[in-house]
Amino acid sequence: MLCMSCKLGNTYSLLVNDSSSNRRLVDKLCLSVHWKLIPICWVSWKPPDRGYIMMNTDGSFLQARGDAGVLGSMDRYNSNMFDQVIKECSAHHLEFQSLMRKIQEEGLDIQTTRNADHFGAVIHHLSLIHNKRCLMAYVYNRVEIIQSLRWKLGPVLPQEIQEKLNYSEEEFFKNHSAALESYMSELELDLTVDMVPPKDPYIHVRVLDDIGDVLLSDQSPNLACHSMHFLKRTDAEQFISQGLMEELTG
Amino acid sequence: MSSYYDIDDIMMEDEFVSVVFQVAANGVGLLDPGAETNCVEQGSKVELPFWLSHELQLRQAVSVNIPACFNQKTRKEIQADAACVDLRNRCPYFYELGCKIAPLVGDRTIGSFLLYAFTGRYKEVLSKAHSAAIAVAPKFLTLFTKEETHLYEAARSSMAAFKKWRLGGPRFERASILGRKRKPND
Repeated sequence: MLCMSCKLGNTYSLLVNDSSSNRRLVDKLCLSVHWKLIPICWVSWKPPDRGYIMMNTDGSFLQARGDAGVLGSMDRYNSNMFDQVIKECSAHHLEFQSLMRKIQEEGLDIQTTRNADHFGAVIHHLSLIHNKRCLMAYVYNRVEIIQSLRWKLGPVLPQEIQEKLNYSEEEFFKNHSAALESYMSELELDLTVDMVPPKDPYIHVRVLDDIGDVLLSDQSPNLACHSMHFLKRTDAEQFISQGLMEELTG
Repeated sequence: MSSYYDIDDIMMEDEFVSVVFQVAANGVGLLDPGAETNCVEQGSKVELPFWLSHELQLRQAVSVNIPACFNQKTRKEIQADAACVDLRNRCPYFYELGCKIAPLVGDRTIGSFLLYAFTGRYKEVLSKAHSAAIAVAPKFLTLFTKEETHLYEAARSSMAAFKKWRLGGPRFERASILGRKRKPND
């Protein structure tokens, strides 16, 4: 945890990098700190095909050109932008209240008055509602992606994706994962396997990364890098989708 | 019907349209950069995002003008050669905005104009999608609206899926979420 002391007004306060692990630590210690906002990094990318979800792994940051854009749809949680919109909402709210007060002070009926103050208040009200919609859509769309991660990658997220989530998104992922697991254990059925029935229950695979000894349903092979195995399809699926194995054909 | 959480719908509603205020409004000087006080006078012409203009029109506070991308000049260009008009530059949500704005401005010709433009460009979009080389980033993509880009990508991916099915290949692949095959610590 990277901490710096800085002077804010007359009180000394901690300036802390905004990351999920730091948020957790601070929550645990019940500290009050100032969060150092993550600088926004603009990246060009091409949206993924419909029906696909792609994540912005660091590749597109390193080579931020339009055509690199393989991986786009999920960026680091933009708390900076979120706070800005919330601030804008408070400003609208203040303006709205002052206009309402003005109508009341003039002794007019709020329900039926249609003067300039009323329309000003309407505009601020509509802006508030629109900002709310934008924020809700932002959170909702991220949640949908996070939910699909559990189905595609399994209960443990790779580090580079984990970094992109904020604290409550991580909590959501854990809870969703736990709910799914308890449901599947009740059914005694793994719902995350491929939906297409296999022609052959076993497949040939090549290991792409050092996985080591694992316990599978019918054997416990040593999955060393570049070794080839004949595994049950359901056992291999998870490794393949995580990019640790590839299927051999032909 | 578009969903509340649909990001494309939100982006579309952020397109600016010009409106004329039928009433005065206080405390919203930021809408009209030319205003000297913190309010918008009756009769002033202001550019507003579509979501705001739409709601204000329902309350009869503004009247909406037809956006420039549906004017006579664009119609003439579309008639001349529909596929070569740079619609994205004019309005990336050309069709969606057209559908939503037609009932507001009371112009009955917008609907048929949209249909004419779409059918004129549709064939072009699909044939280009099937024939374009994968590796080259095609130039004509910059002319397409969002809707047409989706169509183009859909055609491309179904072509790729067909080729994959014909040649055979591994049923399982690394999850597309993880992106290119590169180690995270490279």
